[in-house]
Amino acid sequence: MDSSGFIDLFDEWTDSALEWVSDNGEFLFDSIRQVLEGLYAGILWLLELPPFYLIALIVALVGWRLVNVWFALLSGVALALCFSMGLWPETMSTLALVLTATTLALVIGIPIGIMAGFFPALDRFMEPGLDLIQTLPPYIYLLPAIALLGYGPATALIATVIVAVPPAIRLTSLGIRMTPKEFIELGEALGMTPAKMFFKIRLPFALPSIMAGINQSLMMAFGMVVIAGIVGSGGLGETIYGAIRTLDIATSINGAIAIVVLTMVLDRITQSAARLGTRRKS
Amino acid sequence: MNPSILQFSPGAFLAPSVDWLNTNFHPLFAAISYLVEAVLSGFEAALLFVPPYGLIAIVVVLAFVAVGLRAAILAGLCLGFCLLMGLWTASMQTLSLVTVAVLISVLIAFPIGVLCSRYKTLEAMVRPVLDVMQTVPPWVYLIPAVMIFSLGRVPAIIATIVYGIPPMLRLTTLAFNQVPKEFIELGSAIGAPPRSVLWKIEIPLAKQTLLVGLNQCILLSLAMVVLAGLVGAGGLGAEVTRGLTRMEMGLGLRAGLAIVAVALLLDRLSRGLLDRDRLPKAK
Repeated sequence: MDSSGFIDLFDEWTDSALEWVSDNGEFLFDSIRQVLEGLYAGILWLLELPPFYLIALIVALVGWRLVNVWFALLSGVALALCFSMGLWPETMSTLALVLTATTLALVIGIPIGIMAGFFPALDRFMEPGLDLIQTLPPYIYLLPAIALLGYGPATALIATVIVAVPPAIRLTSLGIRMTPKEFIELGEALGMTPAKMFFKIRLPFALPSIMAGINQSLMMAFGMVVIAGIVGSGGLGETIYGAIRTLDIATSINGAIAIVVLTMVLDRITQSAARLGTRRKS
Repeated sequence: MNPSILQFSPGAFLAPSVDWLNTNFHPLFAAISYLVEAVLSGFEAALLFVPPYGLIAIVVVLAFVAVGLRAAILAGLCLGFCLLMGLWTASMQTLSLVTVAVLISVLIAFPIGVLCSRYKTLEAMVRPVLDVMQTVPPWVYLIPAVMIFSLGRVPAIIATIVYGIPPMLRLTTLAFNQVPKEFIELGSAIGAPPRSVLWKIEIPLAKQTLLVGLNQCILLSLAMVVLAGLVGAGGLGAEVTRGLTRMEMGLGLRAGLAIVAVALLLDRLSRGLLDRDRLPKAK
């Protein structure tokens, strides 16, 4: 069977459909892009405001409080290394991308997760969708994003939010569902209002699971943001992409080191935060 | 505010050592490249040698026998879709990359995983390494591979193998730790040699978790193989990259959908094996 006629038709349809969508939805997509880029620019501005040693110091202090002294020293030195490699601006824009995307993913994911925790029907309804999102290779989420928003950080953000949302929804809903029955009955016996019950009983019990969800979202976001270098996201992803294509070994090693540093620091900090939350309760 | 005394570039120090490796160990790397290329080309040629309809029929029959009717229908639909989209060759390239990478990952991860469940000290040494490996973004795996093997399929498959090892290793260790001690003691009580204990008692009891590990390993490998389209690995990933960088959205969309089909095929088949295995045990 020769399917080339069909393929040409398919490509033409896709192009004309996209043209129609971008002609008619220009206003919508432009405003989405502006909102996303505005958020990103705002966070980036905040991160670039203090000099590098201040940020390294803050991270080290947080690390000291949450993990231990050695981790604090190591993360401070590692961040200073990012600066001395001359990759500080790129590191900060990667961090800003990750933070923006994770925040958006949590703003979307946590409320949906809470609802799914209360209504099992919604949970069952979303399950196949979340499954599918997590089964597919993250790389392909750049396709719809670039088709609608074009080259730039907004595309990277949308694709990153898509991959970062499922763990947030899943683990929030899991946490809400895992509240022990006895405590809910206790709350009912005490005549708690539903709102009070939610904030005083369900949410504290769900917190460790939600924190684990935040950690997972963050890690998924890192994976994606780096890949998004190909669509002009800026930051370390783009540095590495450029360096690999020109086989510039030194720069790609530096970029890789900076990414590993950033990922490990944020991963350990959020993991310890999740663990501390659990320990304090028991 | 940029004192040059603070400037330090590890890359500038490491680049010469990569060069040194490339000059002095060139025969070794060339041999690895040659071997990988040969295995891959053989696999790909075998997949492409059979006409598409024939291959679809074979896969459908195998899926029906091994898993069930629904998996067979799904497999037929997924592969038929790849053919319809005009991406048969690219799909087969991706499938052969994933298959070869998963086979090698499992060959490396399985024995280490078993050893880790036997010797706790080894596990304590391996665990932090796995933690780091699973935190690092996938992109980073491609960088050293590209430095040594340049662009193409070889760095892609090397990075994929390394990326696929941690989940398989972890779940192998878990699987063998979960085997009840009584059964192993029973085995040694009736005088079974260690090899029979492994094959007749431990592996059947650990099978469930091992299959979960295999499923994870396959999906992560697919993600990596697709991503490796960026470094010239060919296959569906290369088509997506082309679509993204040249804004050929029709091609990109077709390749993206074909990847969805391949991912569904691999996931449902490996998960189908798992579910089928679970059913008789429940009775």
